[in-house]
Amino acid sequence: MRHKLNVQLAIGLILCLLLANVFPAFAASVTPFDSAEEIRTALVEAQLKLATDPSVALALASEAEASYTATLAPGIGAAAPEAHGRALSAFVRLGESARTADAVAFAAARGQAWTAILAGSEQVVEAALHNNDTATARTWLPLREYRTATRYSRARADATLAVDQFAAGQMAADDAVLTVRADLFGTYQARLDEALRDLVKADQNSFAVRRAELAALAAGYFEILAPAYAEQRGTDALATASDAFSGLGSAALGSDGMAATLDTVNGVLDGFRAAPLSPAEQARRAGQLMRFIGLISVEYGRGVSDGKVIHDFEIQEAVTFHEAAYAAFADLRDQLPSGVVAQSTAVFDHIGAQLAAASPSVAADPSDIKDATKDLASMLQDSMPAEWLAGSAQGDFDVIASMLDQVESAVRGGDYAMAESARLEAYAIMETGPEARLIVLAPQMAPEIENLFWNNQGTYKGLAYLIANQATLSEVQASRAQLDGLLAEAEELVGRESSPVAVATNAGVIVFREGMEAVIILAALMSSMRRSEEQRYRKPMWAGTALALVATIGIWLLAHEVLQSLARYGERLEAVVSLIAVAVLLVIMNWFLHKIYWTSWIASFHSRKRRLISGEAGLILGLVALGFASVFREGFEVVLFLQALVLESGTAVVLAGTAVGLLLVVLLGVLTFKLQVRLPYKTMLVVTGVLIGLVLLQITGKTVYTMQVVGWMPIHPIHQITIPYWWGTWFGIYPTWEGLALQFAAAGFVIGSYFLAERKQKGKRHRTAPSASGAA
Amino acid sequence: MITRIVLPGILMLALLTACAPSAPPAPAPAASTGADLSGIKTYLLQKTAALNTSAAELQTASAHYYDLAEAASFDYERLSQSPAEIAQVLAGAKEAWMAASPLYEQMEGIVAGVPDLSSYDVILDAGASGAEDPENAAPFDLTLPDGRVLQRPGNVFGVLESALWGTFADYKAADADLNGNGAVDFGETLPDANVLKAAADALVNYSGELAGAAQAWQPTEAEAFTALVVMIPTMNEYFNSWRASRFISGEAATQRDFVAISRLADILDILSSLQVVYTGVKPLAVRVDSDQAAQIDQGLASLKAFVADIHTEETNGKRFSAEEADIMGAEAQNRATALAGQIAQVAAQLHIEIEG
Repeated sequence: MRHKLNVQLAIGLILCLLLANVFPAFAASVTPFDSAEEIRTALVEAQLKLATDPSVALALASEAEASYTATLAPGIGAAAPEAHGRALSAFVRLGESARTADAVAFAAARGQAWTAILAGSEQVVEAALHNNDTATARTWLPLREYRTATRYSRARADATLAVDQFAAGQMAADDAVLTVRADLFGTYQARLDEALRDLVKADQNSFAVRRAELAALAAGYFEILAPAYAEQRGTDALATASDAFSGLGSAALGSDGMAATLDTVNGVLDGFRAAPLSPAEQARRAGQLMRFIGLISVEYGRGVSDGKVIHDFEIQEAVTFHEAAYAAFADLRDQLPSGVVAQSTAVFDHIGAQLAAASPSVAADPSDIKDATKDLASMLQDSMPAEWLAGSAQGDFDVIASMLDQVESAVRGGDYAMAESARLEAYAIMETGPEARLIVLAPQMAPEIENLFWNNQGTYKGLAYLIANQATLSEVQASRAQLDGLLAEAEELVGRESSPVAVATNAGVIVFREGMEAVIILAALMSSMRRSEEQRYRKPMWAGTALALVATIGIWLLAHEVLQSLARYGERLEAVVSLIAVAVLLVIMNWFLHKIYWTSWIASFHSRKRRLISGEAGLILGLVALGFASVFREGFEVVLFLQALVLESGTAVVLAGTAVGLLLVVLLGVLTFKLQVRLPYKTMLVVTGVLIGLVLLQITGKTVYTMQVVGWMPIHPIHQITIPYWWGTWFGIYPTWEGLALQFAAAGFVIGSYFLAERKQKGKRHRTAPSASGAA
Repeated sequence: MITRIVLPGILMLALLTACAPSAPPAPAPAASTGADLSGIKTYLLQKTAALNTSAAELQTASAHYYDLAEAASFDYERLSQSPAEIAQVLAGAKEAWMAASPLYEQMEGIVAGVPDLSSYDVILDAGASGAEDPENAAPFDLTLPDGRVLQRPGNVFGVLESALWGTFADYKAADADLNGNGAVDFGETLPDANVLKAAADALVNYSGELAGAAQAWQPTEAEAFTALVVMIPTMNEYFNSWRASRFISGEAATQRDFVAISRLADILDILSSLQVVYTGVKPLAVRVDSDQAAQIDQGLASLKAFVADIHTEETNGKRFSAEEADIMGAEAQNRATALAGQIAQVAAQLHIEIEG
């Protein structure tokens, strides 16, 4: 069968060559890709045939050489003479080894020939772009390799799209060359790494032919990357690296083990990244690096107690984060000072060893890991250029994606506890990172994303709901896909701009918006306490407000990693605080209505003091709690968002924006209070009553929403109506039966309280009028 | 008076409204390119229907074997004393498995490559056992008729194969000289009747679910491209399992699965299903670059022919060395990677996002 195939192939090749000479038009239709594929497959056939039929192998090798000479050599010889030379020498070696039936040498020459063709093609494309020759660039670009795709990574199309854009006049030649180089160099470095990994296995299995082929491929890929290596590390380093690859090739042709030479090669490649990282990509890696480092100690701390591992999956996550952090570090190390690189590497190794040693019987103290990661983060941050830290939002999205991968992976393995942990972590990163900008740039997207992280009840259920109900992998994947779509949109929006002015504006808007919410609540509640005997009730509310401000500042001062831990519980914390606010507000509302009428109209007939003092302590505490809850629920959220912005642009920029936002809040707050003071007392009472009622409705709606998000309350959406997102943001109105029903109930409570007070008042008046007239 | 009452409220409402940022315009949806993908679904439904039929046959044979074992009070020594009847029943079960497994492989390229269906691939054919690989374990437990529960036993076809051919001790009740040649040859085994019955029932159950999901599925261009880009490059995995199987390693093989049908046959079946998928989207590829569209077509055919040649040689009795298998696996992988890369370029040029 194979002989028949070989004969067919040989005839095909010869026909191609003849036709190429006789009919140039036909030659033009055989693309460089077609020719290269024919050469490669012919040489593989020859390799397999060598042991049993060397003459056929020789014929195939000769035909492959002829094909190269006729179709590829002109282009490669002109644009890449060195690669052309390597190809020609490889064909000579192929012929020699075929004649002596030396399968190992043949394999090495095969690897050399193929990578020389790849190198030549890459240079032909670059030269064509420089010469504004779009047709040649397009024709040769397909003669390339792609990253070996896995179920989780795909081939990139950057180079293809860049050439298309160049052809359409949308990209300059230099930019197109850079993009093509980045794509191809990245690919060939991945293939180099893969060849070295496969070489280890081939060596272990004593596959001599594969060893020789893989060593030659590795050396050939490195030849393609050599210019980048020389540029980054200098010509001396390149010479050393080239020697290492020569040693690898020699070792592969021998019979001894290759471990030592492989170590040498891996040593010269350590930290080398051929594809140039753009400034945006550097910032992205830096963002990933800092996030992942922070997460190592968080996960480790959760997995260890009393010197033992209590949750194995948390340790697994810590290990994953350690590996991910190191991978990001490796990508950046050439841009960091050598001293920092050496120290960081040592700390990475130290942490890695401690993670590896953790077991159910013994594990390092979490504080050791925490200190080590803190030192590492601090050391790296100090040595990073400011612009690396400025664009961390995209790095955050990468980290979120990797955490969501873990969610899927855990669900696939039926480990729902681990899935939930990874989900919470992903959400915490979203909330402490990109959400700060998202709520300003696209506020309608934030709740959509939030719901998919939590307990969404639409077509795609929220991840928290799915995990809690141990949903199938396909359900989780469907919701994940939906979430990915939103996150991709969010990333695009958030990644558009991050100038200091934009970040300061974001901070100002956040502070202003959240601050005004608090001011409105306080103004509504305090405006009723205007008379001298009532003003003392303002004090506890101001005290609660002050406490909340202190607590907010305290949270601000907490280290970022602690905030990261708290962020996991952010929504639940908000739900609890909001519940307290609702409860206190209901009590206050009731008190307010009764007190207003008593103190306004019938105070002179009763012992005011005695009545007011009854329950006075509870009232004071309630007012303090209300002041605290009203401000702290906004304050916590503001701090989460502002910390994210600090990471992006630094404290000074954020504080500037915050100051402006606060100033506006104070000004409008004062204006609001003044306006209310000017109102006649009775009018003010009406306005205040209405406003407190609205505040109660808003807080009730938001509390229900938050409780639904965290899964503490069922969700029954009302599909028939569409409510603009800002109704939810500002008035707490969301289209769910539970939310609207409880808001109606709250409204009913307020109105009921009013009529009850009114009825009591009338009753009192009715009873006091005759006695008064009688007395008169 | 009214002004005084309303003013603060208006002020506050104005503030609130002013602070609410306006929503940015939604990104324009990608224009539909309108490929006719109905052939993919038709093909899939044909295969799921055929799989259901074969699974039912396997279920019948397994239930028969279970009844015989139950009649012998699960005394497999006693059971082996009537080898002719047992051999016939087990041969029927193996035959049904040999029919069912390729039917699944012929649609695996679609099932495993489409995110909405891929969970069935893990359950039916690809998922490891919990003991082997907890992260990639098939997400189901197998409850046996006697009440035992096998936690995460691995994919359904694998459980059935290792039970029927006796490659996993836990699922094997006893060896038996079923053909009466005086020796216990490979595959001459009495499966644990409980395991066999439960797994056959599970096959019927999940095949039925898959058929339902396939019926509900409406293929999209993104899914079709995703299936191609995701599944074509998995050649190396298949060649690796071929290399580790009895077909290469002979009696030294320790692999539980892929003992009855060569993995090469599975690769051919998978490639057939991917050719169906590519036929569906080829008109789109032609719009981008007709040369490349033809190259992809040719590449798929060439890859399939490459594997078919090896399979023919194997079927004709050639035993490849492990290193030859490695070289051929690498070549198949190179071709597959190039194909997937080309398809990914086409998808990008069509602005079709690869899912997953």
